[in-house]
Amino acid sequence: MMRHALLLAVLVLALPLGSEGARAQPAPTQCAAPNELLDSDVRLPELAKRLRARQPITIVAIGGASTAGTAAGDGEGNAYPRRLEEALQRRHPGVPITVINKGVPRQTTDEMVARFPRDVFALHPTLVIWETGTVDAVRSIDVEGFAGALESGIAALRQQHAEIMLVDMQYNPKTSSLINFEPYLDTLHRTADLQEVYSFRRYDVMRYWSDSGRFDLVDVPNGRQAALAGEIYRCLGERMADAIDHAAR
Amino acid sequence: MARDLRLDFFRGLSLFLIFIDHIPENLLAYGTFHAIAFSDAAEVFIFISGFTAALVYGKSLEEHGPLFATAQIYRRVWQLYVAHVFLFVLFTAEVSYSMLVVRNPMYADEMGVVDFLETPHLAIIRALLLVFQPTYLDILPLYIVLLAAFPFILLLLRKQPLLPLALSLVLYVFALGRGWAPKTLPEGQSWFFNPLGWQFLFVIGAAAGYSRISGWWPFPRGKWFTYLALLVTAVFAAASLSWTIHWLYDPFPPFLAKQLWTHTLDKTDLAPLRLVSFLALAVTTVHFVKRDSRFLHTRWVRPLIVCGQHSLYIFCLSIVLSVLGHFILAEFNDGIPMQGAVNFCGFAGMIAVAYLLEWFKNANRRPPGTRAATQPAIASE
Repeated sequence: MMRHALLLAVLVLALPLGSEGARAQPAPTQCAAPNELLDSDVRLPELAKRLRARQPITIVAIGGASTAGTAAGDGEGNAYPRRLEEALQRRHPGVPITVINKGVPRQTTDEMVARFPRDVFALHPTLVIWETGTVDAVRSIDVEGFAGALESGIAALRQQHAEIMLVDMQYNPKTSSLINFEPYLDTLHRTADLQEVYSFRRYDVMRYWSDSGRFDLVDVPNGRQAALAGEIYRCLGERMADAIDHAAR
Repeated sequence: MARDLRLDFFRGLSLFLIFIDHIPENLLAYGTFHAIAFSDAAEVFIFISGFTAALVYGKSLEEHGPLFATAQIYRRVWQLYVAHVFLFVLFTAEVSYSMLVVRNPMYADEMGVVDFLETPHLAIIRALLLVFQPTYLDILPLYIVLLAAFPFILLLLRKQPLLPLALSLVLYVFALGRGWAPKTLPEGQSWFFNPLGWQFLFVIGAAAGYSRISGWWPFPRGKWFTYLALLVTAVFAAASLSWTIHWLYDPFPPFLAKQLWTHTLDKTDLAPLRLVSFLALAVTTVHFVKRDSRFLHTRWVRPLIVCGQHSLYIFCLSIVLSVLGHFILAEFNDGIPMQGAVNFCGFAGMIAVAYLLEWFKNANRRPPGTRAATQPAIASE
């Protein structure tokens, strides 16, 4: 209760500063996440080069329903790839940066790899954000197959000279009793680790927001659900921009 | 001959480790078999189950003939089946409670496949046919199927122990190489433990157990075999341990991870590396822990032994407790003190019920003594 009151105070105080047009931006502190969750030794050298040289950058976000982001309303307009694009453009004025949303709901890792040629390679992206794992866990695809699909996808992307950022599942305190995400999270992180690919720990970041009371992911009134999704996607876009800036320094 | 307490001890230990592994994100899970081997508690449980089944029902086959032994086995299968259905009902209760979140569009699109509550009539039929296996409910269906096939395995063992081993190996190779597996619904999902793969370990356990009856050991033995097993165990332990440390503390280098890690993942089909790792660990264990080992009679291992002697009940209880523990962690708080409390209460609950069952068994057996002839064999499997 105390914490909520404090949060509300922070939010109200920050509103006049952070508001941007009609849509209120969440308070910066609400989106914050500890650096340990974002830091990695993996670098994105090609992206860094292009940022410095102010060359155009194409980023493709391929993933599932949470990449498509329709839960926040307005089609892809409130999805995290759009928010990431805005954040990167704001941070790197003068660099033409586009983030293209290729989210298709309910696909396994294998099915996403199958649409790489059309949805990813054809666009010649500098960076590919690959959000996956949820459907594999939901359908309880065996983890070995999941790891194999990740490896083959990473190899295919590398062959096209695209840099990669893997994104893991969404967190919710309640879903873990329906689905055991843990083996899939471990497999994704470990594959990324052994393949030296950056993995964005969306699960841990959202968990941090949930545990620290910044977002209540459980008791969401019906009318608030789209707005909450929009805020989460915006915050994720900001943190992904942090991660990209960190890896491309 | 006195009961081999090693079987009870290691089965009890595997029950505890299964409990630990069944609680997601349990810190203690870093300390289970998986930290020092490519296999985990499931292999131990299935191997010892095969071993004791051969011992108990093999004896029954000798003394009472095939019909009686089969009847005994199917009585056990029925108990396991009822336990499975019971656990399914409990699971459904928990899931129904958590289901509301999935209505949130942010998660609904992704989680839509978990819609079994929208078609409960199908879910129930699938559960009864053992093809619906949500988390936690995966090892009992495997055990039920393996035990249902056991009269056949037992008769082959009696004829010639190498016969079931050879057949079993062929089936295992087809499961691995050709992807043989039972069909399930909804399509695309599979048994978490492919019975066609895991039967090999069960039959190996049964052949080892049956040697106590036939007096003939169907596997290699001798110093070279033991040394080979020790070497494999040591190398795999070094690799696994380095990975465990690496996943916790990134700068520590993982030894052989790029070469081996993906080959240890296939738990569904019992990946060869997992099987080899387990068998080497088993030979190593038998080498160091002898049947008359003093530590089996110490006070501290007694609780594990008692749990191992009532494995069906304790197994089911451990599933219930891990679902409950998980629920508490997800619902209230999952800090380290809470995790410690949940683990401790789980262990205490399992031990308390095991002692209660032990007391009840002994109290039941004492005065009239008339039914004691068949009762102990069943109770001790």
